Amino acid sequence: MTTLDSRPVVTEVKDNYLTFTRGLLSWIFTLDHKRIGVMYLFAVLGSFFVGGVMALLVRTKLLFPGKVEWMTADEYNKAFTLHGAIMVFLVIIPSIPAALGNFVLPIMLGAKDVAFPRMNLFSFYLWVVGAACAVYSLMAGGFDTGWTFYTPYSTQYGAGGTIPVLVGVFILGFSSIFTGVNFIVTIHKLRPPGMTWFRMPLFLWALYATALIQILATPVLGITVALLVIERAFNIGIFDPSMGGDPVLFQHFFWFYSHPAVYIMILPGMGIISELIAVHSHRHIFGYRFIAFSSVAIAIFSFLVWGHHMFTSGQSPLMNVLFSAITFSVAIPSAVKVFNWLATLYKGSIAFNTPMLYALSFMFLFTIGGLTGIPLAVLSTDIHLHDTYFVVAHFHYVMMGSALIAMIGGLHHWWPKMFGVMYNEFWGKIACGLVFVGFNMTFFTQFMLGSQGMPRRYYMYQPEFQIYHHISTGGSYIMALGFLITAIYLIHSLFAGKKAPANPWGGASLEWQCTSPPPHDNFATTPRVGDCYDFSAVRWDEKQQGYVIDTEAHLAAASSGKGH
Amino acid sequence: MAQHDTPSDTPFGDPKARFEAGLFGMWLFLLVLAVVFISTIIGYLVVRIDNGAAFIPADAPKPPLLLLVSTGVLLVSSVTMQKALRAGRVGDPRQGGLMVATLALALAFLIAQGVAWRDLYEQNLAISDNLYAWTFYVLTGLHAAHVLGGLPPMLITTWRASRAAYGPDDHRGITYCAMYWHFLDGIWVVLYATLVLGSR
Repeated sequence: MTTLDSRPVVTEVKDNYLTFTRGLLSWIFTLDHKRIGVMYLFAVLGSFFVGGVMALLVRTKLLFPGKVEWMTADEYNKAFTLHGAIMVFLVIIPSIPAALGNFVLPIMLGAKDVAFPRMNLFSFYLWVVGAACAVYSLMAGGFDTGWTFYTPYSTQYGAGGTIPVLVGVFILGFSSIFTGVNFIVTIHKLRPPGMTWFRMPLFLWALYATALIQILATPVLGITVALLVIERAFNIGIFDPSMGGDPVLFQHFFWFYSHPAVYIMILPGMGIISELIAVHSHRHIFGYRFIAFSSVAIAIFSFLVWGHHMFTSGQSPLMNVLFSAITFSVAIPSAVKVFNWLATLYKGSIAFNTPMLYALSFMFLFTIGGLTGIPLAVLSTDIHLHDTYFVVAHFHYVMMGSALIAMIGGLHHWWPKMFGVMYNEFWGKIACGLVFVGFNMTFFTQFMLGSQGMPRRYYMYQPEFQIYHHISTGGSYIMALGFLITAIYLIHSLFAGKKAPANPWGGASLEWQCTSPPPHDNFATTPRVGDCYDFSAVRWDEKQQGYVIDTEAHLAAASSGKGH
Repeated sequence: MAQHDTPSDTPFGDPKARFEAGLFGMWLFLLVLAVVFISTIIGYLVVRIDNGAAFIPADAPKPPLLLLVSTGVLLVSSVTMQKALRAGRVGDPRQGGLMVATLALALAFLIAQGVAWRDLYEQNLAISDNLYAWTFYVLTGLHAAHVLGGLPPMLITTWRASRAAYGPDDHRGITYCAMYWHFLDGIWVVLYATLVLGSR
């Protein structure tokens, strides 16, 4: 292998964003998108731990079909509600956009920061306040409504912590909206010269589509939970049927946000997968425009399918048919992505490292998660499957098996960039394997449970279901072990990890063209932009133990259209 | 805060580019607020239409005429706000007085809303009586909350305008303030019309 003798693209910088200023205050008041992203990351991972412990408690209870002494039915209700609410509002929704997106987006654009750095920091503190409300609600009696807060249970019954957690959700919504506004403006106004919309990394297209949903759907959730709080406080409201209100109206409002919210969770994950697949198979992404437009198509569809959560709520049969039909069509842009990723892998030189293994896990799990959505969109089968474990398994395949797996994959992909250290590849692969096996054990069995009629959210169940619950719970322990190992080797790498090169994977987008970790202001000058999926000018450099990119060749290839 | 970041509160080198980004962000923010108000109005219309004539209790008072006055006050405040913005754009020192007038009218609007609420309450219309009362208080309250939330930035803008701080080179703050204010004005007209039609 010849070492490239052209001048090193990466200039050695002594200071990086982590060491630029020191002390706690320099973090608390930072306006640096990278530091805000890192703070989000640790906050989100901390919440993931709490939500995960709740899930393990629920799964452990379900080892036994009857009552257990250490967990009453009420406590069980609170545990699964807490698990759902934490995972949705505190973990998955902010995980990719606010944590990884915050870190990567401006660097991918060659910009110094997001468009509104102050608003970015403000949005982080809103997240903190929202999370604090959720914690407070636990002390005020917890909440047991399920993460969907359906009326009249949430307004007339429900445990004492219902109002605080609703206030928390309201505030978290603001945080999400501000992130969305920030990203849209950043992508519109801060793209460097030469980066047209169709030269953007696909991760940015995904974040853009996500941000559109965040700003258009989240306000509806905000006003809905506000009305819910007022209704609970005054014992009357527009969702109260005894006074002429309409509880199904709540469901419409709630799902008008919460269905698009599912795409807030999955779209950024799909964006990460587009990056991982291309970079780790060193091959130009196949069907760039199709992937980009399919993100926008999914965002648009997301606003038209909320009624499929309400097939059994008594809405009119015509509405059911319409929502069912539109729901089917979501399969098209989703499948467009999967097939384009497959075509990218074909004849690629695939590096089976941890991010790639997570990307492949994603493709497998997302396909199952997506395809099991079809029987739920069919009106006749949904009547049978509604509110069973089949639904639970389906959305875990999408939310966890896809969105969260993509997040973990992206975390490994950008970990060297974020902290300047390499994690242990051996343990990374082991952990990924454990998570994959554990995940399928946990949730594939739940498809069988659900199709045999086991309802979701039940504390007790028929003894014949016990074997499935045993397998499922066993799988959840294996998964927990995988995540535990991940936490250990990632933390270990922070202290003892090998120093990371600027470009450990051979990526061609801009974040790989600044040092690891990046300097405080990312780039001294606005970088010039080539085709971020053209890897023809990327070479392994023995001396740096990383890849280098021949900028001139890269730019020339982009302007001549080579590499497509 | 000795160890503060360097003042990197904007990634834009060019003030004009920064202003354009701010304007765009402000439009998106107003879009978000529009979604909030539109969905609230839809919720109101659903329960209003569902219940038909039964929505309005026989002895329920109509929306007070005072709301007509507050509507007028708000419309005038939009005019003074726009004049203040025009003065701010060219560095005209009258921007200060016009902003003070806008602020005074905003306060007058809030006081009028408060008095209207008190009138209704004294006519025995409590929020927890029926949906007619609940929706009236909640819808007007939602708008009032947004006016209230606009006061701190408006105070800052007024203070800066009183020192004639806005000029051709920098009129970002007063522009954002005006956008928000006109939005609240427009939304109020829609909301008020909805409530008046809904209480017939």
